[in-house]
Amino acid sequence: MNQDEKLSIIKDILLTDEREFVSSIENKIKILENTVNKRDNLSAKVNPIIDEKLKTFIKEIPDTLGPTITEALKEEIKNSKDAVVEALFPILGQMVKRYVQHEMKLLSEKINNQVNNTFSFKRFFRKTKSKASGINESDLILQEQTNTKIEQAIIIEKGSGLVLAEFSKNKMADEDMVAGMLTAIKSFVEDAFKKESQNLQYIEYDLYHIHLQNFSSFYIAIVVSGAYNIIYKDKLEDKILKFASNQKVISTLKNKALLTKKLEDFFKNDGI
Amino acid sequence: MTASKKIVLLGHFGVGKTSLIRRFVENTFSEDYQVTIGVHISKKTIEIPEQESISLIIWDLEGQDDLKKTRSSYLLGTNGFIYVFDSSRPLTFENLNSELKFLKENYPNVPVKVVGNKMDLVNKTYLAQYSSVFKPLVDFFVSAKTGSRIETLFSKLAKELI
Repeated sequence: MNQDEKLSIIKDILLTDEREFVSSIENKIKILENTVNKRDNLSAKVNPIIDEKLKTFIKEIPDTLGPTITEALKEEIKNSKDAVVEALFPILGQMVKRYVQHEMKLLSEKINNQVNNTFSFKRFFRKTKSKASGINESDLILQEQTNTKIEQAIIIEKGSGLVLAEFSKNKMADEDMVAGMLTAIKSFVEDAFKKESQNLQYIEYDLYHIHLQNFSSFYIAIVVSGAYNIIYKDKLEDKILKFASNQKVISTLKNKALLTKKLEDFFKNDGI
Repeated sequence: MTASKKIVLLGHFGVGKTSLIRRFVENTFSEDYQVTIGVHISKKTIEIPEQESISLIIWDLEGQDDLKKTRSSYLLGTNGFIYVFDSSRPLTFENLNSELKFLKENYPNVPVKVVGNKMDLVNKTYLAQYSSVFKPLVDFFVSAKTGSRIETLFSKLAKELI
């Protein structure tokens, strides 16, 4: 037996425990490698931990990130109001449109029921009027039920746009500014179409209808709220023409106080 | 009853017509330039000593480098013109003579005030350099920024209109 063999025997005797330990460590490393390098094995180990952490994180979001997000959103909305309106407008517009359509449908059904189920002299009169004018009977009922009001009447000098007389039930806007802007708009439109004999006759603004009746040296603007349709327009035109001729407007154009009194007396009632 | 008079402001782009009106009507001024498109109308009622009050309906027209290009229907029935130029930009007053001639020929009975705005941007030496243009034609040098002489301009014109 040489020296190396002797040394080997001594090693076997002395290092048996260490070798077993090393062997067990090697096995554990292999298992770990198997776990880390193979996706399925790693997922099985890690996923429950991540799921648990995520659940906790989601639960804590309102307390931890909530105030920061709210503050950031507030700041963003404050700084870009136009963008927010742009973004919301189509959504709100659609909602309002659907609501209005639904309500109109209900109203239409209600009116149809009223038309079909009732018989009266008024209905007979309405039917005759509908046939004569060619306007749907439902439209006539709608017109009867809608509250059309004359809100403001202004007599405006052509060209300068200065107010010759004004009457309004509720002070809606400064009559001088309204008269000036109406005149500017009229001038622009009439110039643009380059037809001297044609005049701008109607402007719609928000919930108001502005009826414009032209005369030689002045025009009359009547601001109407509520339903403004062809029948109302015709009646209003008649009323304005009657006012201009009966009240001798042309001869009193220079007398603002008198003209204002006449205008108020004539247009203070909504009935046309 | 308060009488109303139509005042129209004319002049090149960016001479400060809108700023001048804003200073007079609202007593405010902003450095931000926003071009006027079409026409903008303002109103201010002023008291004339020993007279009635008078409402000035002020038409602020979009700037034009040539008065002939202005929409003539906007000028109908005008009681007084204010022709504004930028004192610091010779380009805005180089045709002053012909522009005023156009107004006098087409609106012979309407008073015209010629106003050099942005006085805060020029000095005496500069004014002296253009005195041959300014002296015979200009009625007021004003500054919409500082408010200098703007009240005087409008009240003088208003007095002439009564």
